[in-house]
Order: sequence, then structure tokens, then C-alpha cells
Amino acid sequence: MLANGTIVPSSLSVRDLLWQVKWDKEKCTLCGRCCAVCPVQAIELGVHRKRTIQIPSLAEIGPSTTSSNVYQVYHGIRQKTDPAYGCTGCEMCNLVCPNGAIAAERSEEVDKQRFHVNQGGQPRRRGGRRNAPDSSNLGTLDRIKFTRISMLTDPALDAGRHEFELRTLLGRVLPPEENIRLYRENGWIPPVREIYPLLIGSMSFGALSPNMWEGLQMGVAYLNEELGMPVRMCTGEGGCPPRLLRSRFLKYTILQIASGYFGWDEIIHALPEMKEDPCAIEIKYGQGAKPGDGGLLMWSKVNKLIAAIRGVPPGISLPSPPTHQTQYSIEESVAKMIQSMYMAWGFRVPVYPKISGTSTALAVLNNLTRNAYAGGLAIDGEDGGTGAAYAVSMDHMGHPIASNIRDCYLNLARLGKQNEVPLFAGGGVGKNGKLAANAAALIMLGASGVQVGKYIMQAAAGCVGSETDRCNVCNIGLCPKGITSQDPRLYRRLDPEKVAERLVDVYLSFDTELKKIVAPLGRSTSLPIGMSDALAIDDKDAADRLQIKYVV
Amino acid sequence: MEQHQGSVVHLCGFENGQRIESRILEERIQQAVEKGCRVVEIEAFGQHGIGGRLWKGGDQKLHVKISGAPGQRVGSLGFPNSLIEVFGPCSDDVGWLNAGADIIIHGHATNGVANAMAQGKVYIAGNIGARGMTMTKHNPRFSPPELWVLGSAGDYFAEFMAGGVAVICGHEPQERANVLGFRPCVGMVGGKIFFRGPHKGYSKADARLIPIGDGDWRWLCENMQTFLPAIGKTELLETFSDREQWQVLKARGPHEKFSKARLSMAAFHQKVWDPELGKGGLVGDLVDFDRTTIPLITTGLMRRYVPVWENKKFASPCEASCPTGIPVHERWRLIREGRVDEAVDMALAYTPFPASVCGYLCPNPCMQSCTRLNARMPQLDISQLGKASIAAKLPEFPALSGKKIAIIGGGPAGISVAWQLRRKGHEAILYDMRPELGGKISAMIPRSRIPDEVIEAELARVREAIPHVFLHQRLEKSDIQEIREDFDFVVIASGTQKPRVLPIPGKEKLIPAIEFLQRSKAGEAKVGKRVLIIGAGNVGCDAATEAHRLGAEEILLIDIQAPLSFGKERQEAEAAGAKFKWPCFSKAVTEEGLELTTGEVIPADTIIISVGDLPELDFLPEGVETERGFIKVDGNFQTTDPKIFAIGDTVKLGLLTDAIGAGKKAAEKICDILSGKDVQGVSSRSRIDYGRVKLEYFDPRQSIFNGIESCASQCSSCGTCRDCGLCATVCPESAISRQSRDNGTGFEMVADPEKCIGCGFCAGACPCGVWDLAANEPIG
Repeated sequence: MLANGTIVPSSLSVRDLLWQVKWDKEKCTLCGRCCAVCPVQAIELGVHRKRTIQIPSLAEIGPSTTSSNVYQVYHGIRQKTDPAYGCTGCEMCNLVCPNGAIAAERSEEVDKQRFHVNQGGQPRRRGGRRNAPDSSNLGTLDRIKFTRISMLTDPALDAGRHEFELRTLLGRVLPPEENIRLYRENGWIPPVREIYPLLIGSMSFGALSPNMWEGLQMGVAYLNEELGMPVRMCTGEGGCPPRLLRSRFLKYTILQIASGYFGWDEIIHALPEMKEDPCAIEIKYGQGAKPGDGGLLMWSKVNKLIAAIRGVPPGISLPSPPTHQTQYSIEESVAKMIQSMYMAWGFRVPVYPKISGTSTALAVLNNLTRNAYAGGLAIDGEDGGTGAAYAVSMDHMGHPIASNIRDCYLNLARLGKQNEVPLFAGGGVGKNGKLAANAAALIMLGASGVQVGKYIMQAAAGCVGSETDRCNVCNIGLCPKGITSQDPRLYRRLDPEKVAERLVDVYLSFDTELKKIVAPLGRSTSLPIGMSDALAIDDKDAADRLQIKYVV
Repeated sequence: MEQHQGSVVHLCGFENGQRIESRILEERIQQAVEKGCRVVEIEAFGQHGIGGRLWKGGDQKLHVKISGAPGQRVGSLGFPNSLIEVFGPCSDDVGWLNAGADIIIHGHATNGVANAMAQGKVYIAGNIGARGMTMTKHNPRFSPPELWVLGSAGDYFAEFMAGGVAVICGHEPQERANVLGFRPCVGMVGGKIFFRGPHKGYSKADARLIPIGDGDWRWLCENMQTFLPAIGKTELLETFSDREQWQVLKARGPHEKFSKARLSMAAFHQKVWDPELGKGGLVGDLVDFDRTTIPLITTGLMRRYVPVWENKKFASPCEASCPTGIPVHERWRLIREGRVDEAVDMALAYTPFPASVCGYLCPNPCMQSCTRLNARMPQLDISQLGKASIAAKLPEFPALSGKKIAIIGGGPAGISVAWQLRRKGHEAILYDMRPELGGKISAMIPRSRIPDEVIEAELARVREAIPHVFLHQRLEKSDIQEIREDFDFVVIASGTQKPRVLPIPGKEKLIPAIEFLQRSKAGEAKVGKRVLIIGAGNVGCDAATEAHRLGAEEILLIDIQAPLSFGKERQEAEAAGAKFKWPCFSKAVTEEGLELTTGEVIPADTIIISVGDLPELDFLPEGVETERGFIKVDGNFQTTDPKIFAIGDTVKLGLLTDAIGAGKKAAEKICDILSGKDVQGVSSRSRIDYGRVKLEYFDPRQSIFNGIESCASQCSSCGTCRDCGLCATVCPESAISRQSRDNGTGFEMVADPEKCIGCGFCAGACPCGVWDLAANEPIG
């Protein structure tokens, strides 16, 4: 600050900021890389004046010999304190520094920046996941233990030795007698896909950069074609590149339709030219990260490419409202959306809705059980990630996935339909790195499969966002890793091939871990969906709520 | 101990109609061996583990012959020198943890044959069940264990096999199509397997098929001659002697392991992905630019930010705050460059009064806005340069254009506009009703503030430039109308003449300050001992100073609010002993003095009123609108009559520099109109952001400037490159260079895009705040 400057309410010192850049003058070589790479221009070269007082010799100081001042100037890295340029803690400076002279450190005490992130009356928006600064405390899913370890009781399997076929079903599964009857009568049997139980959740082309999206799709294709793993990825709401629609890779893709309907005319135009049907159609009604809120792709991000894929002119803002405009009641809205989507592919492609975790999930589910076409239900819990949302939505709204999926499964069980309407769970799966354990817990609570997004970004592309509010600037198009940016200067940092390779790594290691969990249960071919007698937790209330064992 | 070498003992596992427990049979076998029996014949009835652990025979050969139905784990924990023979098929785990026994099964064996065997040999004259030869070891201290199977192996054969040799002869196998069973060799890390016959796959991650080498073949042939006689099948020797029928599986070493042959991702991209989607992959049809990978630190087009040398894009704070718009920093630069004369002369391009105003009379807004003040460093003293400008030489003016502009009023505003018009080649004719040029400067400013000779010198310069001056001209409305017709433009700069007075009883006794100051300057004024001045602004202060000079002893300035006076005027009034008092509201002028609304009477001999002046505008032609007693003008000082401009105090009361600046601006506008230029917007540069200027380069303790050179050296040259080259030095990529422009008279600092990484160090280091870092042009 200027020496005679005045302070305003948002004048903050470096020590008030959430992320404080520590710079080491001794180590710094002034190469400029940190400043060049900083996504938010949080740092700059500063000019510093250093004063030394020179005293020839104390004894000699007198009228003839005097002490003097010597000023020297040095240059160094300085952090800006304007909240608009607040360091996000992405540590790209540290990454590029040849000497390890710079790093961002998280404030030791509650930062003051948080009270100034609403300049202009605009509440804070960000990307990422629900902030839980005490993320060392594990979430419910992390605390669930698999306590049924068959050594001598069930046929104990060896995860490393036995052949596993861990698959799940997506689509409406009819009761056997019904299925046989329809088969004999040559009636319509709902399409069902046998897929890998870990799905890549909906992340749109637009929310993700072209290179990220291509890397994920390439990795998915590789998993299917080279490794025989039927992994599926949902497009999210942003359309689908025309080439993918016309390729055989489409069968690995779940197309999403949401309230903005972006890209759907391009999908319709591609219908006559499709070589393969898509895996399924997901109708998005809600998202775990921002329940009850829609999305807005700012005009500045709608470049030529995004515009072409979404079927809009470049440079206009693209709102996805919180609700579908032409749907007024759950009965008619779900019914007509599912019908319309089935019709597009001649009733050959399963269609299912996705909702955010909510205390009203049972109402949706009960409706679906009465709808003979409903191919499943995906529920996205409160810990789901997003590219952009109001912080208040992300941090405080939504329903945890564990009890939500459990309630739904138990309800299906009461109706005797637990094997008929597959449930897919998402939202914070793997948020502490425990992907397979979280997925297995959800499966044993009743999910037929698990959707995962943020973990994939972290593992396959090196996303540094965190629940301790690190980076999380997906919403402003400045992703330093090139994952969520539409600026070629950023997304070209990301090599699609490397993303694909890492995706393959993730799936292979997940597969091994999942086997390690299900093998002692004696499961090698059918997933232990709803096998909750294998689960326990060291929290009595949670155990009661989830109807699993309580262990200490 | 009694020795019964060579003796034979026969033990039966069934006694008195009951099966003997495995523990009892074991005791009896051990006792027999201990007693020296070296051939033990056992009729087994399902007893466990028969034949193992018989070390008590030492290095003597021991033969255990088993008939009947032995239980599981025949020969488990077997010792060297034991030969265990089962005359029939055998149950699970034959040779389990065998540490050296030779075991011959004359029939099939079920699951787990040779599991965890480390030494010894197991010969099976039939097929074996699942998980044979699993977890076997080879301890380097001993020969490797061997398993010979006449027929086929069951499922999961050789899992985690860590050493030893297995030979599967494939004779009359359980399954014709597969002699190795389902999924053999998973987790195999050591040893090898000879086999004869078809197989249906094995764990390629763990084992590999190798051609049978000469050494292996010799070994097989040699040992086959032991195996076949042992199981009584010598007739098969010839059948088994066809080398072509044999294959060998060998465990992969740790560095040979691989999961499954698969494409690299790069190959998949190239051979599968792109061919299916087309060139350029997923969006190759939609983008026309390269999407290949770039590094974090980039140059050229791929930089996120680019430095911009914004030399002179912004006005320095001194220039921006000077109503006359004098680029003060440029004058300091000329002085730093040793071009003192040019620095002095330069002022005349902006003002005809560089010495009088900048040096003496102006409160110097330039100094008040100096960037240095932000760092609590003393501002540069422009008045030193101003005073030096008395020497400024009249520039050469262009030839007259023939255009004529009449200027009503020869004060600072009128002279300024005339001066500027003449500089542009237009003829300006000045009219003033007073006997001399200069307006307030010459008529009203107290002598204490400025030496007469300074004013005289500057007025002389003005007279030289503007020869046509009509003094003593009091113009009426009709005159102005006539002038308006005769001239191209008229500029009204007649100032204020009409003092504002208060509507109170006795107001006629009040002496207007403007009149007092004029008379005082002319040497005609007189004051009493007690002088009261109503209105404590700067003019009131001037009046106070003059009153003191004229002999007043008690001077009081009153105001209705805290006095607005400032600067030298105030200081000089205070130095003259003037007192200030407020708030005071006048009620009436009496014989004694001034009566306030409070009833208080302030005694005074002379009461001067100084509550502002108003222009006298009787002469204004129709069509020129006024507002609250002043002439209404637009931003370029054009009145509602486009041919008439108005500047100075006729428009708004202000500083001398405001009047001079207005004259300059009006002249520019007139010149624009005369030259037919786009007369819409007069764009002026905005003030540079103080934060861009770096004052850390200067000595903060330097508070006294000795002369203009000293001032010049401490000027930060805000917004204008001082040609220090620091940016070129600081640039970590050595991307910045100084390049000559305009045939060497100018220069430009240029950042080479091929080297620059967009770090902004140039902007961070630039003392003048010239460099900025801007977002690169959008792509994609």
C-alpha cells in the first residue's frame, strides 16, 4: 500500500489472505516463471528498498566523521492483496520454480478474505466440491468398514488369482417370469446394458476443455477396446462432438439431456448417421453440487468450438435453468421425457433420470417404479463437484448420498423391485482418495453403480482443487492444468493421451481394489449390491440410520 | 537302540473292528522306524499324513508302502531317504510341504498334489486334481522338487509356483483338449513345467512358453527313465520320446512380467482413435488450430500475457492536475538531459505566464498531485522551474492565417487564448477596458506576492506576441454585435468586475475587495487602523495583507464558515497579524463597525467585503445564455452562440491556471473548427495510476531540492519512459531491447515475442509505470 494511502473495508494484508505466498529471496533467481504461470496474477515483481546505516566506527563518529545512510534496491516477488487477485493456492508457482523459492501456504487462522469475496454484491461462485476444511475427518463413506471377511466360511476368493467379471446392469430389468413371457410373446423388453459399475459422471464439453474431454473419451475407448472393460462416460449437458456421434465410440457414451437442451439438435441431425446406439440417455433434473440451481456458461467461454458443439452462435451466454421449462408435475414430466428419449433410438436405448440428493428422492423413485420404461435412477449427493456454482449452494445444500441411496434401495426392497430399477450413486466418491472403498460401500448400501467425476479430474488430469478451498477456479476459465479452461493457452498444457493413460491406470487400480473388497465376500461375478450385512461403521447413529452393523 | 535293519513291519490302520486314529498309526510308524524297520507296509484306512517326518532312519533308505485308502497329505513333511509308495489312487495334498521324500502314487491323485513342496519327487501314475504344484519352492541348498504326472493336471495348476519342475506327460488325460487345466500358472514366479499335449491357456503375465532346449530335453529323457519304471510304464518311453510333442512353460522373471500385450496409448490414438474419428481426433473437424501440447512457460502467441510499452499513454499526475495541462515531467526530463533552455522555453507552448503563475501565483496543483507524496516524500518544487521561466524566449510564430478572433478582456484568460491562437497562426485582437493588460495579475495581486518586474517581463513578452491590443475599451452590446460580425470568433474573457455585496443596511459603506486591491496596487488606497474584512477567502487574505501594508493595525477576517483560504495568501495574511473569526453573520453596517446577527458589534474603521465577484455581462449579445450570473458554456467553452466562446471567471470563478487552461482549450477548439477537424471529442489522456510508478528507486530522505537540477533528478517521470533501460536489464529472457525510431530522434522499448514469457517483470520494475502487462489476444 502507498505510504499515505487510505484503507477501505476490503484492504487486506497478506496475512489476512487465505493463501499466502512465501518467497525466498536467497533462493530466487528472478526467472519470472512464477509470475508468468500464475493463473490469477496474484504475484508480481516488486521493487524493494533496503536501507543500511553505515557507521565508520563508533569511536570516530564526531563532527568530522559522520555516519551515513545507504539505500539499495532489490527486486523480488510480491503478492497482491486485492481480493480480486487473491492467490488460489494452486502452487503453479512452486511447480515452475527451478529453485523451490516460492510456495503458497494456507492461512493458519481463519482468513479474512472470505468476508470480501462478494464485491459488487455478487456472492462468491466457484468450482470444486463442498468445502470441508476439516477434511481430515473422514466422511461417512470413508468410515464404512467391510467387516464380513470370509476366510473359512464362504468360498474365499483371491482377488489376485480369481477371474472376476465385475459388471452391473443399466436399464429396466424385468422380473424373470415377465421377461420370459414377453420373450415368448415377442413383446418389447426394455434394453439393458451390462457395464462396468464405475461410470464417469456427467461433465460437459464446455465445463471441461476439449483436450480433457478427448482424453477421457480416448481412455474410455481404450478401456473398452483394449482391456475389455465396458466403462461408460456421460456427456453432461453440452452436446457431443459430431464426430463422436458418428463413431462406434458412441456406444461407450451416455448422452445427457438437461434443461438447457444444448447440442441436441446436432444429436438429432446425427441420428441417421449413427453407427452405434449410445449406451443410455441420462435426463438431468439436478446436480449434487448445486441442488436446485442451474448453470450458466458465460458468453466469454462460448468460443467457436463450444458454440458449434452446442448448436449456438459464439459469444452468447448459455443458461441451463434449474428446471425444465415444459414439465409441470413429476408424473407427466418424467413420463414424457422418458418416452421422448426412448423414441429417439427406437426404444433400443435405456433412459434414466438423474437427480440431486434430496429428501424427496423417494417420491421420484416411487414414480419410476410405476413407470415401465424407467431405466434406473441416478442420485448425485451433496459432495458432488461442479465447474461453477454459488458457494452457498455447494457448501450448504443437498443431501448426503449414503443415506439417500440406502433409503431408496430399502424402499425398492420393500416393493420387491430391488433388482429391477438400478440405482446409481454419485457425489464425493473418492473425495479422500478412497475410490474403491467408497464405491464398494455405496454398492453394498444398494447402488448398482457409482458415478465419479472430480476424482477422475484429480487422478487423470492432476486437478489440484480441494475441499480446503485450494484452486477451485474452474468457473473462471483459468484452470492452470487446462482441465476446465476453453483457452487453448491453458488447455494445450494437457495432453489427451496422458489423460487417457491415467484414466486407464485409475480403472485398472480401481478394479484391483474393488476385487480386494469383494473377493473376501465370495463375489467374483455378481456385484454385492445391497449386501449390507458386510458393512459396519463405528458410529451408532450412522449405523442405525443406514441399517448396518455398529462396530467399535 | 535296537536295530532291525532291513526288517519289514506291517501295520494295519484297522484294528478290532475300528479305524485307528491317525495319531496312533503315526506313533506306530515312528516306533517301527526307530526300532530299525526300513520297510513299513501300511494298510491304510483314511489316516492322515502317512509317510512323512521319518527322519529317524537317518541316511538309510526307508520304504513306506501304502495300500488301502490313505487319507490326505500322504508323505507330508517328507524327509530325504523316504520312499513312499501308494498302490492305488490317493486323496488330496500328496507330498504337502515335502522336504525330500520320493512319493509314488500308482493311480490318480486328487487336489493339491505337491502343494508347497520344497524338495523330493512326486510321481503320479494318473491325473491330478486342482491346484497341483502350487506354492512349490526351490531352496538353493537342495535340488529342486519334482512333480511327474503321467496324465493331466487339474484346474489352477502351478498357482504361485515358485520353483521346482513339473512334468505333465498328457497320457490319457482327463480332458483331451487340455492337459494343464483351467488358468494354470497364475502368480507363478519360479520353476518350469514340461508338458505334452494341448492346453487352453495359462497366465501369460506370469509364465511364458519356451522352446524345449537341448539341456532341458536331455534332462527330461534322463529322468523319464526313472519315472516310467517307477510307475511301471516303461512301455510308454517311446511314446514320450518325440521331442516335438513337448513344450516348456517357464516362470517369468520379475523384469519379464507383463499384464497383457496391449497398445500404447500413443498407438491407440494413432491407430484406433484418429482413424475412427478422422484427422485431428474428436474435434478435428471443428477447430483449425493446433491442439498439441505446450509447456507451462510459453512464448509468442501462446503467452497468456504480453507486455505493452505504454509510453505517454497516460498523463503524469502533475500534467493531469494542471488546468493548463503543462507536462511538468517533460520539463524535468529536458533538465536531466542538460537541455535547460528547452525546458524553460517549453512552458510557453502552454502558458504565457510560466514565471508569474507557475513560479509565484499558482497554488501549483501539479505539486499537490505529485506521486512522491504518496510515499510521504516531498513533492518536486515546480516554482523553482517556474521562476526560471522568466527567461523563456518567445518562439517563432507561424505566418498569419487571415482568421481573426476578437477577445474581450485582457486578463490571464484572454491573454492565454490570444497567445494560443497566435501560436497557431491566427490573429487575436484584445479589447480591455482597463488601461493596461494583465487583468487580475497586474491589477489586483499584492506586490508582496510577486515582484512587479516579473509581471512586466511576461507582459512585455505577451505584447510582443499580440500586437493588437485595444485598451480603455468599454464595449456595449452593440459593439459586441458588430465585432461578432467582423470576426471569425469572439472570446469573452472579461472576468469579474462586480463585487458581490450583502443586502444589509449600510451596505454602501462596504468597500469591495476587488476595488480595494486595484486601488491599493495603483497606490490610491487608504485604510483605518481597524480593518474588518467580511469573507476570509484568498482574496480577503490579499486584502488583509495590503491593509497591513497600508498601515492597518488590527485586521480581522470574518466568515460564515471555516475560512477557505489557503496557501501563500493565507500565510501572508497571518504574517501580517490578521485574525480570523467564524461563524459570523452580518446584520448591519453601523457607524461603529459591523453588527452581527448575534447583536455583537465588531468595531472597525474600514470594512472591506470579499464574498466573491460576479461578471458584468450587460454587453452580452442575445443568444448567449447565462446561468446564475455566469456565462453558460459547454466542455470546450463554447457558448450557446457557436461563434462566441467564454472563458475564465465569466464562466466560473477559479484559479489563474484555470483561466489560462480555459484559454488554451478554447483556442484549440477554435483552431479545430477553423481547420475543419472533427470537432466532436477532445480526448485528453487520463492520469496514470499511481500504483504503477515505483518510488523505491529514490532516496526517501532527500527533502531539500537545491535548484532545478536537483528537482529533475528526483522526478519519477510518471507514465513517460525515462530511457533508463532497467526493463531490458530485468527481463529474465533478455527479450527487451531499445530500438530507434523516427530516424534516430525517438526510440521504443520492444519485447521480442519469441523470447518473452509474459512474466511482467518489466512492468514490475519500470520506475515510470510505462510497461503494462495485458492479456494476449484471444484465440480459439
